[in-house]
Amino acid sequence: MQTKSTDPKVFRRAVGPENVSTEESELEHFRTAGLSSRGEPAAVVRPQGTAQLREVILLARETATNLVFTSSAPPRFRGDTVPAGEGIIVDLSGMDRILRIDRRNKVAYIEPGVTFNNLIERADEAGLKVLMPLLPRKSKSVLACFLEREPIIIPKYHWDMTDPLLCTEMVFGSGDLFRTGTAGSPGGIDRQLKAGLAHKNPLGPGATDFLRIVQGSQGTLAGVTWATIKLEAKPTVHKIYFACDDRLERLVAFTYRALRPRLGDEWLILGARSLATIIAESPGSIDELARRQAPWTLVYGVSGYRYYPEERLAVQENELARIAQAVGVRPVPEVPSCPAKKMEEILAGPSPYPYYKTVPRGAFADVAFLTTLDKAGAMVEVMSTACDAHGYPPSELGIYIQPIQQGRTAHVEFTVYYDPADEADRARACELVEAASWELDEAGAFFSRPYGSLSRIAFRNCPDSVEALRKVKQVMDPDNVLNRGKLCFGEEVV
Amino acid sequence: MISDEAYKELEEAVGVDNVSRHPAVLDSYAFQPFENHESMPWCPRPVAVALPSTTQEVSEVIKACNRHNLKHKAFSTGWGLWCGPTTDDVVQIDLRRMNRIVEIDEKNMFAVIEPYVCGAQLQAEAMKVGLNTHIIGAGPNCSPLASATSMHGVGHDSIYMSYSARNVLGLEWVMPTGEVTRLGAPGSGKGWFCGDGPGPSLRGTMRGYTGALGGMGVFTRVALKLYNWPGPPEIESTGTVVDVMSEVPDCLRIFGCFFPDKDRLADAYYDIGEAEIGYNCLKVATPAFMMILAPHLFKKLKGTENLRRLLGGTLGQMFLIILAGISREDLDHQVDVLKAIVDEHLGFVLDAKNIPTLGSNLAMNFIRATMPALVFRIGGSFSTALGRNDSLDTQLAWGEAIAEIKRGYAKKEMIIDDMGDNPYFVPYENNTWAHCEVVYPYDHRSEKHLAGSSAINMDFIINAIESCMEPMFGVVPSARKVLSPLTSNFNRWQRKLSEALDPDQTSDKGFYTDEAEFDFTNVPPERVERLQKLVEDLTWTELGPPE
Repeated sequence: MQTKSTDPKVFRRAVGPENVSTEESELEHFRTAGLSSRGEPAAVVRPQGTAQLREVILLARETATNLVFTSSAPPRFRGDTVPAGEGIIVDLSGMDRILRIDRRNKVAYIEPGVTFNNLIERADEAGLKVLMPLLPRKSKSVLACFLEREPIIIPKYHWDMTDPLLCTEMVFGSGDLFRTGTAGSPGGIDRQLKAGLAHKNPLGPGATDFLRIVQGSQGTLAGVTWATIKLEAKPTVHKIYFACDDRLERLVAFTYRALRPRLGDEWLILGARSLATIIAESPGSIDELARRQAPWTLVYGVSGYRYYPEERLAVQENELARIAQAVGVRPVPEVPSCPAKKMEEILAGPSPYPYYKTVPRGAFADVAFLTTLDKAGAMVEVMSTACDAHGYPPSELGIYIQPIQQGRTAHVEFTVYYDPADEADRARACELVEAASWELDEAGAFFSRPYGSLSRIAFRNCPDSVEALRKVKQVMDPDNVLNRGKLCFGEEVV
Repeated sequence: MISDEAYKELEEAVGVDNVSRHPAVLDSYAFQPFENHESMPWCPRPVAVALPSTTQEVSEVIKACNRHNLKHKAFSTGWGLWCGPTTDDVVQIDLRRMNRIVEIDEKNMFAVIEPYVCGAQLQAEAMKVGLNTHIIGAGPNCSPLASATSMHGVGHDSIYMSYSARNVLGLEWVMPTGEVTRLGAPGSGKGWFCGDGPGPSLRGTMRGYTGALGGMGVFTRVALKLYNWPGPPEIESTGTVVDVMSEVPDCLRIFGCFFPDKDRLADAYYDIGEAEIGYNCLKVATPAFMMILAPHLFKKLKGTENLRRLLGGTLGQMFLIILAGISREDLDHQVDVLKAIVDEHLGFVLDAKNIPTLGSNLAMNFIRATMPALVFRIGGSFSTALGRNDSLDTQLAWGEAIAEIKRGYAKKEMIIDDMGDNPYFVPYENNTWAHCEVVYPYDHRSEKHLAGSSAINMDFIINAIESCMEPMFGVVPSARKVLSPLTSNFNRWQRKLSEALDPDQTSDKGFYTDEAEFDFTNVPPERVERLQKLVEDLTWTELGPPE
């Protein structure tokens, strides 16, 4: 459909004038993000509920307006909330209620504006814990995080890629309302709750899984207005260990053997720079801290629950110690400047402000993809070579390896830090990320959730999927009003 | 009828020895008695059957069908009416020649398999490398690919190995157009380690809670998650399938756990889940054991009131659980935890270690899920009441409600009396959600039973809707027509996707998107009215369901 110039006033009809803003101080947050190019946000529209969101989408269809969803507060880094050209920002962050916590079934009902701190507090009161990604920014929407398939740090609870997201309510780009999982069962939510449903089954309804289709779609197919999120029981005893090594392969071997029988809770591998960035208490100490760390540090947790907690903890510790010995790894209770307790606290919450990745140089760019653990080392080599080629010291590269799907898959994340005020430094980061992404793709990296220009790389490998996805887009967003031009839905891709 | 020209193209696609239109051969596909409540248990006869051996051949068969306006329908290990055609002019694509385990990746815990690999075959190979595969309750003779892509997927091991649909790590799919696509990482040539992306996941178009039952092309390869197996590469066994005695590996302990009532049983389930123990867990009705293993004896004894009270009452609230430890210390800990939980909820455990012959028989029968199919024995057929899976509490309540409905029908001799209770209750993923279906046996030759089937199935559907559940047999066109408007209009969207990806509607859509009217012939009028009232009250408007 032809793009028209967007008149924000139209949306006052749907959300009221007080919920439409054209203030530059608000719009500027959606002009750029990270390395992404300049967008042209015309207004920020704030629906106060599902009915208003639906009205907004229907108006967008009438007026051929591009809508870009956001539910986290700034800063933003990936560019998925920067319109490709002109667009109206649909800000769902005001829908921020935790609607319900169900202790028995370990589930939270949340709106898009709920952030990790809010949810952690409420879950904690109920004796539950939130399945955390690694240090999300404080302002990050929990729902958006999991809609983006952000990995969680406890692999044993990551049964499938949709986890920990369960059921949702969404409004398609057509303006139609849909509920997924058991939320889509007969009756409204109150009636379903009275019948005992806990909205734990994420699949369906029927023979289609719209949650799975919408996950990873960066707001190009639907807007999600609430969701249920899987929580887990809080351990009664919990300990963190570290295993430090100069060889990644040993930690990978340890990981494979430990995760196979689901030993351990938190389980992640960090390069020295990432570890230093996470634990540093001041920006000035990062370099020194990084130098003091081993090149690779595995962080893992062990827990005991309500029944025989100490016995369980001991079983886990002993099994892991046996495996560690067999592969030549030595678990320790602390690393330089970070005892276990400190790491436990770090992993349990969001990043302090400012967001930890911005601390070293002011800005950063991530290259994140999926592979298997045994290929992670080769990917590090590729990235290091690319760093060398672009004059970026590999020792300054952030590296984070997160086993997911109970250890079958690995999320690998490289972070290039740069100074946003230094144009040459920014340009170098930009070139490095671009070049490395192509090389990593050649080496087997799977860019499963590509942002910005990474889409070109990700989708060129699967033209048949692109064809199918475009048909799906046509069904769900027939007038192409949702986040135009993103993913494979722009003309230039493939 | 199939034209000679079309038939010749099928021959060219798969070879003359691998295609047939002989009526006797075709009837072997059209005779589908399971879940077929007609007095003559046939489905429409396919016009031909083709047996491809490769993905390319599947593609060529579908393209040949499309050129001649024939529909296609895949068939792998086959288990019921939904495997056969639902309409005329269908070519049945029998995938039995595609029976290869393509790869087992031990380190990354997955296998890539073809459609006719069965659960037992994959399990045997996986165990050799210390891994195991999820086997569905229908048994180890079933295709894991079929349950992961096209049908349901619950099994005794779901506590540890999840639900088939959630075990997919990649997929090869011959679309209804005949084009071959791969989903997830394999679609980008990166390996079989992730089934989602890039971007939106097309896995969501492949299936939801149920599959498309052959209504959306043919799945030719799937990567499935495998799970840790702490036992030996082979288990020494003697005897035949069910009457088997196995050497119980030291890493396993088997317990029956009995509780005084449903609430205590439920609480124990929740606690076991949070303790993260259990490898295989199934709530079964004790009468069901006798019914499937000794049906003649069961028929004679079921009128005995004391026995009913003992099996259905005193011993009614029980589950069987297998614990698997990676070391003695680990296993002992799990046993301690289990016993503490059962004690706390006033139950008692029956430790199979104290009855070695029982443990020896149960071990492989549960790990390989061999017993459920025996439910055919008592009446020749059975059906089942399936509600939408969700919390454990909802599933236990469903089990009780359906048992009550069954008792009424058994009293009127409209189904076989199995003492009223026969749940197949299985918790998923550390007991964080669960499945319950309630089986009822019947004699397909009895007119009274067939009439009873229609009426009881309507009661199940009504009960499901009243309980805010989507009956899982929403795959039936008449149920789908009633349910879709109450459940996000899901079939409207399913149909749109189907039309987008299968523009000429060449796959057989009978169990996927087709809708039909209910046959209310044997349903009491007040039940019809109740259903109509529920539909009236719960139909979605554009603003969602009536709250």
